[in-house]
Amino acid sequence: MGALMVIFSLQPKQRRKTTDSVEDELELSAVRHRPEGLEQLEAQTRFSRKELQILYRGFKNECPSGVVNEETFKDIYSQFFPQGDASTYAHFLFNAFDTDHNGSVSFEDFVMGLSILLRGTVQEKLNWAFNLYDINKDGYITKEEMLDIMKAIYDMMGKCTYPVLKEETPRQHVEVFFQKMDKNKDGVVTIDEFIDCCQNDENIMRSMHLFENVL
Amino acid sequence: MAAGVAAWLPFARAAAIGWMPVATAPMPVPPQEKRRGKDGLIVLNVSGTKFQTWRDTLERYPDTLLGSTERDFFFHEDSNEYFFDRDPDIFRHILNFYRTGKLHYPRQECISAYDEELSFFGIIPEIIGDCCYEEYKDRRRENQERIQDDEEADPGNELVSADLSFRESMWRAFENPHTSTMALVFYYVTGFFIAVSVLANVAETVPCGSVPNRAKEMSCGERYALAFFCLDTACVMIFTVEYLLRLLAAPSRYRFVKSVMSIIDVVAIMPYYIGLVMTDNEDVSGAFVTLRVFRVFRIFKFSRHSAGLRILGYTLKSCASELGFLLFSLTMAIIIFATVMFYAEKGSSASKFTSIPAAFWYTIVTMTTLGYGDMVPKTIMGKIFGSICSLSGVLVIALPVPVIVSNFSRIYHQSQRAEKRRAQKASKEAGQALVCKTNPNFEVHHHHLLHCLEKTTNHEFLDEKTFETSLREVTLVKQVSRSSSISSASSPHGFTSCCSRRKRKTFNVPNSNMSVGLQGSIQELSTIQIRERPLTNSRSSRSSLNAKFEETVPLNCEQPYITAAVISMPTPPGTTPEGDDSASSTDYSQANIVRVSAL
Repeated sequence: MGALMVIFSLQPKQRRKTTDSVEDELELSAVRHRPEGLEQLEAQTRFSRKELQILYRGFKNECPSGVVNEETFKDIYSQFFPQGDASTYAHFLFNAFDTDHNGSVSFEDFVMGLSILLRGTVQEKLNWAFNLYDINKDGYITKEEMLDIMKAIYDMMGKCTYPVLKEETPRQHVEVFFQKMDKNKDGVVTIDEFIDCCQNDENIMRSMHLFENVL
Repeated sequence: MAAGVAAWLPFARAAAIGWMPVATAPMPVPPQEKRRGKDGLIVLNVSGTKFQTWRDTLERYPDTLLGSTERDFFFHEDSNEYFFDRDPDIFRHILNFYRTGKLHYPRQECISAYDEELSFFGIIPEIIGDCCYEEYKDRRRENQERIQDDEEADPGNELVSADLSFRESMWRAFENPHTSTMALVFYYVTGFFIAVSVLANVAETVPCGSVPNRAKEMSCGERYALAFFCLDTACVMIFTVEYLLRLLAAPSRYRFVKSVMSIIDVVAIMPYYIGLVMTDNEDVSGAFVTLRVFRVFRIFKFSRHSAGLRILGYTLKSCASELGFLLFSLTMAIIIFATVMFYAEKGSSASKFTSIPAAFWYTIVTMTTLGYGDMVPKTIMGKIFGSICSLSGVLVIALPVPVIVSNFSRIYHQSQRAEKRRAQKASKEAGQALVCKTNPNFEVHHHHLLHCLEKTTNHEFLDEKTFETSLREVTLVKQVSRSSSISSASSPHGFTSCCSRRKRKTFNVPNSNMSVGLQGSIQELSTIQIRERPLTNSRSSRSSLNAKFEETVPLNCEQPYITAAVISMPTPPGTTPEGDDSASSTDYSQANIVRVSAL
């Protein structure tokens, strides 16, 4: 009985040591990333030095480690859409920004994406949008992909909308979209069909210039 | 957090280009934009406090922010210095690290603030010097425990009752009695019956006066056997029902059955059922009597009702090692002293110390300073060792006790803290709503972004209350949609999705088909809004993003009087697209629906 007591009393201390070391391991493996120099980024994007500085400061504040992983990205984006669930759309956005598909968005990825969105030509912007919709990046937007995107957008609205969101609303919207975009009615939208159709649509053209003065 | 999120707004807006090809309606116009520096000494301006150091000093550690080209992002050309909008007090320590190579942790700083600064400047905490490392680690662990406590306490408040299934809501009622009156009633009723049952068990054994044809006194239990039996039955039935309900409602039945409280419940009611089964069987009646002892476990059922009991139990569990040590050392001492006393008293005649185990009783009674006096040493040697025994007993028991006490104190204070935090939460949220600075520029752009989303999906945001009212009053939907479609056709800039009340601009009412007097309704609008301003509709999901979400209170739906007009803003340039809007239904004799875009 005495021996049991000894063993009993000695154990808990060791347990504490192991949890400490697990903690330490996690800390050391935290990712830290440093962006390329200011000059290189200035050359590669259409932002001025000042704008890059501003962008970086914001970026660094939210993500001191220098990279955004998908979770953080979803958190940040969801803050702008408190009524709905922005996580699915944020997932698609994340994949659109993470051009090298390494699971994290570094400052360079972020700034390249923004450069296209804010300072790019209409062609580039439409290209970017096409890339966003084309989930598997095979060059075609299928109805399923578009349905996923549409559901994600409608999810951001949340439950409390007027008129009440019905199950088939995203699907109907996808139908409308395909009717407009899919010229040869083959069930997929290619990049050319997409760009052509958008360039002929006045509303879309106007809205492409909407956010030019964001920075 | 709000400042950080504001920094990402340009990104969110840029990303909105992704919605454009999908949208069928034109987008709202964006709001107007307001628009807005070898070996040498480097000047670091940290929030006004200027630090100067050599370039070389900083470049000693090239994989940190200050030592690499990353600092170029913070160069301020106008003043030819590097500007950081961070805490200068903590920065002092960080700069010292570059100078001396040792990172120190200042004790008076908050651990999370310090951690944030370290991660901002790209310095890993592992390099904190030995002098400060232990303190740092301790504080960090404390902080994380506190955060965990917070997280555990929070989810209980977050659930929306509509989303819970019956089973889940039952479980919630069981676990948190203050959530509904039914739960509270249930809680008190069970507590009452536990008390009654325990008292009955106690009173059963009290001698109750003698009946004429019996020589000795009867206990109350024998005298009023039927009454006690009925009482017992009632209590057991209630306990059984309670247990079954809990079993039914538990999210994980297997885990529930394994838990301590459920075992106590089972042990409390089993004796009764076993007693029912084996009545009047002579052989096992002895065992039956023993089983009645287990009824006393019902008193442990009180631990669901008393937080203090739970804390005590938890303390004992967490001090298990100290208690184990106490027991171990006592056992050692008992064996030693019992042996010694036995051999010392062996010589004396008629000694009670007949064997070593018999001497155990004496040793225990002496070491715990009880001293019953039923066994006393008679020889001189016996007396000497007896006194040594009692002195050492005091020591052995006194040693582990402070550890147990400090554990209890820590756990008790933790639970106090949880209680305090719960109580403070309400006032904290109210305070935060007042303090929270709204950044007007940010809000304008944010509203525009949300408005773009509305246009893309051809649906509009509502807040919960109006949404629920709208669900209830289906008949009005058509009417409202008519009015909304008219107004949206007439004014392409449509509704603004905001009911912020900071600036009330002049508004035109285009062609709303209101039959209510216009003046009166507008008056109503302003008064209602003013009246409802202090109401903080705090949904925590929105409260992180500026106070504007707390201002979203729809015009009071309980009022029979319809208010509000369809209000559109004048053409954009020059004005910020803020206005108050809501759609109205026309006929105020119908129950009203007031729809306000709640953003």
